[in-house]
Amino acid sequence: MDYVAQQAMNALSFGAEYALLALGLAIVFSIMGLVNFAHGEIIAVGGYTMVAMAALALSNPLIVIGAAVLAAVAGSMLLERVAFRPVRYADPTTGLLTAFGVSIVLQNLFLLLVSPRPIAVTSLYFLDWPVDLGAIRVSSLQLFEALTTAVVIVALMLFLRRTVLGLAMRAASLDFEMVRLSGIRANRVFAMAFAISGLLAGIACVFIMARRGSVDPHLGFDPVLKAFVACVVGGFGSLPGAVLGGFLLGAVEVAMLVMLPQSLGGMTDAFVFGIIAMVLIWRPDGILSPPVEKGDKI
Amino acid sequence: MLNVTDLRVYHGPIEAVHGITFQVKPGQCVSLLGPNGAGKTSTLSAITGIARATGTIAFDGTDMGGLPVEARMRRGLAISPEGRRVFANLTVSENLRLGAAMRPEGQAERIARWFDTFPILGERRDQQAGTLSGGEQQMLAIARALMSEPRILLLDEPSLGLAPRIVAQIFAMIETLRQQGMTILLVEQNATQALRLSDYAYLLNNGRIVAEGTAGTLGQSDALMAELTGIG
Amino acid sequence: MTLSRAQRRGIVGAALLALILIAIGLAATWFGSRYQLRLVYGAYVNLLVVLALQVFMGNARVTNLSHSAFMGIGAYAAAICVTPEKIKAISLPDAPWGLNAFALDPVSSALIALVLTGLVAWLVGVFIVRLTGIGATIVSLAVLVIVHGLFLYRTDIFKGNQAFFGIPQLFNLTWVVGLAVLVVFITRGFRESRWGVALRASADDEVGAAAMGVDIHRLRLMAWVLSGVLLAVAGIAYAYYLGTISARPFYFNHVFLTLAMLILGGMRTVTGAVLGTFLISFGLEWVRWLETGPVVLGIDLPEALGLSGIVLGGVIVLTMALRPGGLMGDREIEDLILK
Repeated sequence: MDYVAQQAMNALSFGAEYALLALGLAIVFSIMGLVNFAHGEIIAVGGYTMVAMAALALSNPLIVIGAAVLAAVAGSMLLERVAFRPVRYADPTTGLLTAFGVSIVLQNLFLLLVSPRPIAVTSLYFLDWPVDLGAIRVSSLQLFEALTTAVVIVALMLFLRRTVLGLAMRAASLDFEMVRLSGIRANRVFAMAFAISGLLAGIACVFIMARRGSVDPHLGFDPVLKAFVACVVGGFGSLPGAVLGGFLLGAVEVAMLVMLPQSLGGMTDAFVFGIIAMVLIWRPDGILSPPVEKGDKI
Repeated sequence: MLNVTDLRVYHGPIEAVHGITFQVKPGQCVSLLGPNGAGKTSTLSAITGIARATGTIAFDGTDMGGLPVEARMRRGLAISPEGRRVFANLTVSENLRLGAAMRPEGQAERIARWFDTFPILGERRDQQAGTLSGGEQQMLAIARALMSEPRILLLDEPSLGLAPRIVAQIFAMIETLRQQGMTILLVEQNATQALRLSDYAYLLNNGRIVAEGTAGTLGQSDALMAELTGIG
Repeated sequence: MTLSRAQRRGIVGAALLALILIAIGLAATWFGSRYQLRLVYGAYVNLLVVLALQVFMGNARVTNLSHSAFMGIGAYAAAICVTPEKIKAISLPDAPWGLNAFALDPVSSALIALVLTGLVAWLVGVFIVRLTGIGATIVSLAVLVIVHGLFLYRTDIFKGNQAFFGIPQLFNLTWVVGLAVLVVFITRGFRESRWGVALRASADDEVGAAAMGVDIHRLRLMAWVLSGVLLAVAGIAYAYYLGTISARPFYFNHVFLTLAMLILGGMRTVTGAVLGTFLISFGLEWVRWLETGPVVLGIDLPEALGLSGIVLGGVIVLTMALRPGGLMGDREIEDLILK
């Protein structure tokens, strides 16, 4: 029983992280149909910022975390301005391929300008200590992660319901042109979407760094792949779908880790993908895919 | 208030409107009439900046050419577009709140006033706009447009697809707006109703203005009626 | 059989491309060093991949990310069949199902590889063609990861990231040029065939196509399986030349590289596939030379590892921003010459 509770906690924290990552992707996709593969590199930007903080002998955790998150937000908004604006109104394939290209460029920029080797980031190790909850032992990091994700989701919901820009973003997912016709500046909506996406990436980065303890140019590859899968399963473009997909993916991964015999250990990724593929065949547009209606009754 | 000179509108390489000139004076209700495909909606799209166009579109004396869509609307335009295009995944209240984006002050009172004028919208205030009936969506679209307190209201085919009783309601609403002094540019296929409301009207066909005049003169012209209805 | 005007032009276009391919091959054979010969061979193998990619992506307008996996299936299938038992006894000591106890001649091995890959392509394709654009892309991504996972995991069959060696090196440049010419005719032929035309016309409008009686799923499946078989050809050409293969080349890096080639040239035409492949193959070599920090005009340039990646990514981004249809857009080579 305790073992189950333990694994449930694992699934929760995995799921929380994937949900965070998936939300970052889903926000951008829901508004402009762009699958932002460069999202992983934003996480790496956060990681390298932490390295820079360490190099500047700034070890105060608040500064390190704050700087990483800020860098992620700024980096994300910069990407939008520079790389994605030309393909803003293009079809999804063009956007997807552009994002691929941006991702490769960034990965190689890290390689070229910083280092091809992993660099240690130790300032966040303190966040990870064992905590006993009754009979089960979990890591404090898992608790932080689950809690933070919950707070983030609530904050996001409030933003999307209470603020004009949030309403505009929701409306834009169905009819961007009409949002512009209501006098709301497209640039602002896009900038805000990428800012939120960057914020989510930055927060995820903090947890990833606390766990991994190092950053390398290809750090972003795995997270963005997971985020991608989570979004797809949940229904690409749907925000609740992204959260659902994230937790589902976390659960499946933990289940695979637990259930697969030792010998098949290396195949976890492949099995996970296999299950995802099967979900897609059952529900090709994802489980909670967003509506396509445009609000006209003709 | 609105002076359009030699407007040509393009959809890709195709020229849909071939150089039309018209104007809307402050406080007037002007109609653009004509059959399907005449270029009426294209004209509105050009004014809002959605469609590519050449010619001069002057609002309050300043040429709007080169201004992006949002900037034009912020000058005091508002539109209830073809097909209503209410924000289907937002509630009625949220639609109105978005409409007020350009004029956030005092929006609560204005929204309350709309719910008074249209109790049905008030009843459905927390319902998703996509679930409303056609007539309700049209009311919402016009209310949303007016939330920004525009100088000129562009209405694109407000009667399209609606039952006659609802159409009457919508046009009564437009008449009230007109009496309150709102400047309106109305695009309509329903010529009779439109002429009843308008001070002046232009008849479009195949991208050109083929006739214009006060509502009275146009309404009495047999040739015009033939043009509009295809009979006689 | 009467050919339509487009089909006649297609033959002309394919012939022109064939001439260019043969010319490059001859130039390399006569003037190229051994290193350059390898480089050109690699370019031709990539050309086979990019042409296979064009068959599906260019006609069905769906992004496919699994192509390197199918190339790998073809390569491994042929390699396992053709490698002599003596060598397999050493390299695959634990191979199941007696895979290390037989060896076939190259032709049979190639045929088996083609059939096997075609079969796998068909199985996967049946599901993929029913999905919408993004959904199909994602499942293709899943296929890539799964196949790669299989290669890595079943080292008793595939040897994972270690080199599977001992494949008889049967091919030389002439072979691959010949194959490339053949595949150019095949891809061009499909593009102008009634299936290709119908597929392209309905790629953007499923409902409209269905209303006209076009079975878009069947057409997509055709393109997908053809693509898979051609990828197997590329894999065989790869294995039969290098003599050793491993799982690493059949994963993301190769996917990006070949995708960039198709995008740059223009995915809608066969000419685009050819143009993009050679531009990037040769261009990248030049950038890689720059990466080593050579001495240019007396200036000692610094090492710049990662430059090639930046250039590749930059090519994709710039092409998408400035010329999404690629350099050739919708024009085939004969459109430049004939009227």
